[in-house]
Amino acid sequence: MTPRARAVFITGFLLPATALYAVFVVMPVVQAFAFSLYRWRGISANRTFIGLENFRHLFADPIVWMALRHNLLLFLGTSVAILVLSLALAHAIGSDSRAARLLRSVYLFPQVISLVVVAILWMFILNPSFGILNAALKAVGLERWAIAWLGEKSTALASIGVAHVWHALGFYIMLFAAALRTIPPDVIEAATLDGATGLTRLRYVTLPMLWAVLRIALVYMAIGTMNIFSLVFLMTQGGPDRATEVMLTYLYEQAFKHSEFGYATALAVVNFVLVMALSGTILALFRHNPQEGKA
Amino acid sequence: MIRRVLVAAGLWVFALSVVVPLLWVLVTAFKTGAEIFTSPWGVPHTLQWENFARAWQEAGIARYFMNSLLVTLATLAILLPIGAMAAYIFARYPFRGSKWLFGAFLGGMMFPLFLTIVPLFFLLARLQLLDTLHGLTLVYVAYSLPFTVFVLTGFFQTLPQEMLEAALIDGCGHARAFWKVMLPLAKPGIIVVGVFNAIGLWNEYPLALVIMTSDERRTLPLGIANLLMVEQYQSDWGALFAGLVIVMLPVLFVYWLFRDRIHETMVAGALKG
Repeated sequence: MTPRARAVFITGFLLPATALYAVFVVMPVVQAFAFSLYRWRGISANRTFIGLENFRHLFADPIVWMALRHNLLLFLGTSVAILVLSLALAHAIGSDSRAARLLRSVYLFPQVISLVVVAILWMFILNPSFGILNAALKAVGLERWAIAWLGEKSTALASIGVAHVWHALGFYIMLFAAALRTIPPDVIEAATLDGATGLTRLRYVTLPMLWAVLRIALVYMAIGTMNIFSLVFLMTQGGPDRATEVMLTYLYEQAFKHSEFGYATALAVVNFVLVMALSGTILALFRHNPQEGKA
Repeated sequence: MIRRVLVAAGLWVFALSVVVPLLWVLVTAFKTGAEIFTSPWGVPHTLQWENFARAWQEAGIARYFMNSLLVTLATLAILLPIGAMAAYIFARYPFRGSKWLFGAFLGGMMFPLFLTIVPLFFLLARLQLLDTLHGLTLVYVAYSLPFTVFVLTGFFQTLPQEMLEAALIDGCGHARAFWKVMLPLAKPGIIVVGVFNAIGLWNEYPLALVIMTSDERRTLPLGIANLLMVEQYQSDWGALFAGLVIVMLPVLFVYWLFRDRIHETMVAGALKG
C-alpha cells in the first residue's frame, strides 16, 4: 500500500468514531471548564463572564458542603461494608456447596438490572405500609423498629447506602474472585502447612497477593459513591429536608430546576476534581504493598 | 466444622438477600392491590395477569418498551461497525499519534457523565436533537465508544496476522480484507461487546432523563420512574410491579445466556489500569 493509500484507509476507518466522539464527548468536556466561569441563567444566550465567582459562591454554599459530607459518608460506610462482604464472599463462592452454586448464578443479578429497578425495589422493601422489611420486623415483635426508613432524616442516607451495597456488591465479588483464581493453589497450601489459617492467612498471604486489585477496587468505590445519582434521585430526591442531598442531585437541581447552568457546571468541575483527587490519594496511600520486600 | 457451617450460613444469607427481593417483585406483580397491602409476604390467591395487561397498555409500558428497543438496536447498529473500524486501526495500523488518539478514547471511561451534562444539553438543543430518539441514539453511541474501542482493540490484537496477509495476497484491498476476513473472525468479541453495551443501554437512566422530555418518547427506565410518580395518585401498584418485571426480565435473560463471557469482559475492562 502506498503511504497515501494507507493514510486514506486509516482516515476513513477512524473518521466516524472520532467525529462522533469529538462532538459529543470531547467538546462538552472542554466546554464544561469554560462554562463554569460564566453566570448563565435560563435557556437564553445571555452569559456573563465572572471568572471564579461561581467557585467562590460554591465554597460558601452550605448545601455543597452538606452534600459532599453525604458523599464521603456513603463512600466510607459502603466501602467498608463492600470490602468485608466481597472479600469473604469471593472466597466462599468458589466452594462446591449447593449455596455456592446457587450464588454463582445469581450474585450479579443486582448489578445487571437497571438502577431504576433497584431504586424502586428498595423503596418498596422499605415502604412503611406494605414493605417486606417492616412486615418482617412486625412479625418478630419489633414494631418499634418498623419506621419510614426513607422518610426519617436519621435513617434515609443509611438506607440508600444499603441499596447501593446491594447493587454494587456483585461487581466486587467478581473482581476479587477473578483475582483469587490467579493465586497459585500451592502458595495457599504452603501457607496452610506453615500454620497460617483464617485471618492470618488472609493478612499475610491473600491480601498482599490481591493488592493491585484492591487498590483499583477502592478507586471504583470512590468513583461510584462520589458520582452516585440515580439511587438518590429516585429514592428520596435528596430529602427529607436535604438529609440525603449529594453532589450530583444538587447539580441536577441547580441546572434543570433552577436553570443555574453556570453554577451547575462549576459544581460538575469541582465534583470531577474531587473524584480525581480522591482516586489519586487512594492510589498513593496504597502504593506500597506492606508485605512486599519484607520477607 | 464450625467454620464450614458459618461459611455455608453466610452464603445462604447472601444468596437469599439477592433472590428474595427479586422474587418478591415477581410475586407481587401477580397480586391484587388489596393483597399487596394486607400481606406483603403472602402469595397471590389467583395470578393477576391483568396487571401485566394494564401495565403494557394503559400505563404505556408498550410504547416505552418499543422506544428502548429501537434506541438500543439503533445504537448497536452504529456503534459496533464504527467502533470495530477504529479498534482495527488502533490494533493493526499504527501511525504517528495513534497511541495518543487511543488514549483520548480511553480517557472517556474516566470522565464522569455529569461533567459534560450541561454543555451536552445545549449542544443537543442547538442541533435540534433534544427530546428525539435519534439524538439520544447518537449520544449513546458516543458515550459507548471508549469501552467498545478498548475491548475490540484488545480483541483484534489477538487475531492471527497470517489471515490478513493471505487475504491481501489474494488481491483483497485492506478495507475489503477487514470486512470479509477480519470482522467475521472478530465475531465472538463483537457479540460480547454488543451484549454488554445492550444491557447498559437498556438500563440507562441519567442521560435519558436529561435529554428526553415528552412522554411518548420516554425509554423504559424513564417510563417506569414516571409510573412510580403517577401511581402515587392512582395506586395501581400491581401494574407498577408488572412493569418492573418487564424491565428486568429481558436483561436477566440475556445476561444468563452470556454470563461467562460477560464476566470475562467486565473483569478485563475493570482491571485495564
